[in-house]
Amino acid sequence: MPEIRTKVLIIGGGPGGYVTAIRLGQLGIATMLVERAWLGGTCLNVGCIPSKALIHAAEAFEQAVHQAGTDRYGIRVERPSIDFGRTMEWKDGIVGRLKGGVAALLKKHGVKTLAGHATMLDGKTARVESDTGPQVIKAEHVVLATGSVPAPLTALPFGGRVISSSEALSLSDVPQRLVVVGAGYIGLELGTAFAKLGSKVTVVEAEDRILPAYDTELTRPVARRLGALGVEMLAATRARGLSPDGEALVVEFAGGTERRLPADKILVAIGRRPCTEGLGLDQLDLGMDGAFIRIDERCATSMRNVWAIGDLTGEPMLAHRAMAQGEMVAEIIAGQRRAFDKVAIPAICFTDPEVVTVGLSPEKARKAGHEIRVASFPFQANGRALTLGAEEGFVRVTARADNHLILGIDAVGQGIAELSAAFGLALEMGARLEDIAGTIHAHPTLGEAFHEASLRTLGEALHI
Amino acid sequence: MADQSFDVVVIGGGPGGYVCAIKAAQLGLKTACVEKDATLGGTCVNVGCIPSKALLQSSHLFEEAGHGLAQHGIKVAAPGLDLAAMLARKDKVVQQSTAGIDFLFKKNKVTRIQGTGRIVKAGEVEVTAADGAKSKVTAKHIVIATGSEVTPLPNVAIDEKKIVSSTGALALPQVPKSMVVVGAGVIGLELGSVWRRLGAEVTVIEFLDRILPGMDGEVAKQMQRTLTRQGMKFRLSAKVTGAKSGASGVALSVEPVNGGAAEEVKADIVLVAIGRRPYTNGLGLKEAGIAIDNRGRVVTDGHFATSVSGIWAIGDVIEGPMLAHKSEHEGVACAELIAGQKPVVNHDVIPGVVYTWPEVAAVGRTEEELKAAGIAYKAGKFPFSANGRARANADAEGFVKVLADARTDRLLGAHVVGPMAGELIHEFAMGMVFGASSEDIGRICHAHPTLAEAVKEASLMVTGRQVNL
Repeated sequence: MPEIRTKVLIIGGGPGGYVTAIRLGQLGIATMLVERAWLGGTCLNVGCIPSKALIHAAEAFEQAVHQAGTDRYGIRVERPSIDFGRTMEWKDGIVGRLKGGVAALLKKHGVKTLAGHATMLDGKTARVESDTGPQVIKAEHVVLATGSVPAPLTALPFGGRVISSSEALSLSDVPQRLVVVGAGYIGLELGTAFAKLGSKVTVVEAEDRILPAYDTELTRPVARRLGALGVEMLAATRARGLSPDGEALVVEFAGGTERRLPADKILVAIGRRPCTEGLGLDQLDLGMDGAFIRIDERCATSMRNVWAIGDLTGEPMLAHRAMAQGEMVAEIIAGQRRAFDKVAIPAICFTDPEVVTVGLSPEKARKAGHEIRVASFPFQANGRALTLGAEEGFVRVTARADNHLILGIDAVGQGIAELSAAFGLALEMGARLEDIAGTIHAHPTLGEAFHEASLRTLGEALHI
Repeated sequence: MADQSFDVVVIGGGPGGYVCAIKAAQLGLKTACVEKDATLGGTCVNVGCIPSKALLQSSHLFEEAGHGLAQHGIKVAAPGLDLAAMLARKDKVVQQSTAGIDFLFKKNKVTRIQGTGRIVKAGEVEVTAADGAKSKVTAKHIVIATGSEVTPLPNVAIDEKKIVSSTGALALPQVPKSMVVVGAGVIGLELGSVWRRLGAEVTVIEFLDRILPGMDGEVAKQMQRTLTRQGMKFRLSAKVTGAKSGASGVALSVEPVNGGAAEEVKADIVLVAIGRRPYTNGLGLKEAGIAIDNRGRVVTDGHFATSVSGIWAIGDVIEGPMLAHKSEHEGVACAELIAGQKPVVNHDVIPGVVYTWPEVAAVGRTEEELKAAGIAYKAGKFPFSANGRARANADAEGFVKVLADARTDRLLGAHVVGPMAGELIHEFAMGMVFGASSEDIGRICHAHPTLAEAVKEASLMVTGRQVNL
């Protein structure tokens, strides 16, 4: 069997893996990346990117439908129709271009790529089943970056009309009746998009509310909007399984009564689990943390020179966390002294309106023992939001009561995902409320709401 | 009105003035605000930032409905325009905003005095109401916040019907077939964009050989290309020397700046947008002995004190960029100074935004300024075409450009052309306030997929470490 030697072997070509590879290439280190399906991984192929494209198209369609009714902007249009095949082609075009971009970047930085499934034989050796037959790769360092897969529901296995987010992003038609199991961010992002595209959407959630990971103050505007879009929300409800005829989902309410929800598609979005199957972890005997690989602040596993990054290593399962870990691991392998000490890893729900959280929520800050000050500023009192017709939502700032150090910044509102970067910077720079108050924010922008929320937390609000 | 006495009287109810008044009242000072117009909010809220952004949003949606949807597989017949409804929506946004300031005045117990203020001397302001009635207001401190007005163009008299200023351009009763915008600055390009999107043929005439004077040269070049592709026409290095207004529109005489024959350019509507100048007419500056500079701006000591003790000035009437947010911060600082505090306004870090499509935003220095100052710098420039969210939003034009000190890597300036540039610029602004390096920005975990990742990548590029290009 042919044997390849390289300094670093990366298994998994998602955002974590490919960024590690590029950074290693920049640092002049011989690197090989093995990917079994698509470069760009879940994120680029069946996750973040295609979902945002679909969300954008759905938003544009809904806007046009809205204009065809009563439009406040003075734009008159006939009721629009959607050619969903064309929408999907457009989305595929974007994914294709970006995927090609990743391949080109890897090549540009001298990274060798191999398509195939890798199984670890020991801490330095992997066997790869590639198109051209099996190959053995020996490396000084191994970076595990295989990511995650949609978690299945035992009572409702994937197949037929039961689909995961991956299939939901490549449907050939807009389903007439869509049932979403799980009101986390993936379920709500896709459920909202299909509701806008014309599906009758029902969301089933075992917990008593949507987005259970967030506090209700933040999620209330999202719940309101779902209602306005005609999405039926069944909280505190469990998915029992398919009906005997296979055409409906049977759900059970808290009281024990059951209901049949006829559906053309049932999207199960109850979470994701690490993708370790067939990776040969049993050969390595790595320290684990539940189903995840245990790592330290350098992303080192329990075995020397075996590193793990991204979804494989636990929550938060976010592409940008994986990328940041990957950059760091590359630099550590290159001999730099680095540790993962991010104060802020922003999380965004691309729901309608969008939700951004960075740092600690008021509740978590209190639990962590902080005495806090917290206040929010509503977009209703923000000039830019008024001009955009996006008055729903607010920015909320949590700070230490004693020295005003900002601990967390959250926001909900239309198009506010981009505010997350300034929030992250404020936390990483160790900003106090006074620092934000003293920073001139441009007028009229949504960002002024962050400035005002900081002022209000200080007790010095001007515009409310 | 009976004579009244206050701790502070602010003349002008625009963003600088009303914020100053609110802050002064919050600090426990008995405060009045004199405003000649029926509504508070000044130019910005009534005939500036707010209504223009409302129309920019509406006209953008109109253009999207007409041209932007097909690529997503959305089929819709060409949209119709109900301009009256569009303008009514704009008026409603303005009305909501001014009502908001009324509410804030009541809440904070600021006395509002309607009328035109004139400074008699330190401590005394005379207010002339709309009906001509005069009253006297006394105050320990007077704050001049009278803002700015449209700079007139010689021989091109504004009638707000055919030859309009930004004020008239926000309320045209119908979409003109053709429009000439004189001046390729922020206001001209924004309002020119509105009417071009709604169907007008727009030609922009600019005296200089570039658009967006004062902004980074590369940004200006990119925007000229982009706006040209959108259908806007440009005549640079040209001056307008006269106008004849007739039944069929306006005929402008236009001459090349570098010499050559004059030419006649016709348009239904002419928008004069060559700039703004301090508004101090009838304010009594001279009589009160308040010094002004050669551009008509009130001279201050850098801490808003004028040459006359007890009289302060903030906003467009003093030195610095004429921006609402600069005025607001000065208003807060001025009130704090009056209350005995020691605030500082960081005038080196004032972001500016142009609400064209794509947007333009900038903070700190331009490349040209750094070159002229002899400062060695490194640049990083990342295009939105390599950004996932920009692609997914079908809005991938433009770039993020970062300028950092070649020796220390400290951020010196940032320039963004692209979607939501006006929001993205704040990370840079905050970074600059903190004295951040480009590496600091590059090492921060930016959420994926966001446009802000382009901010990170451009920052990484300063040191050649970009990942996605």
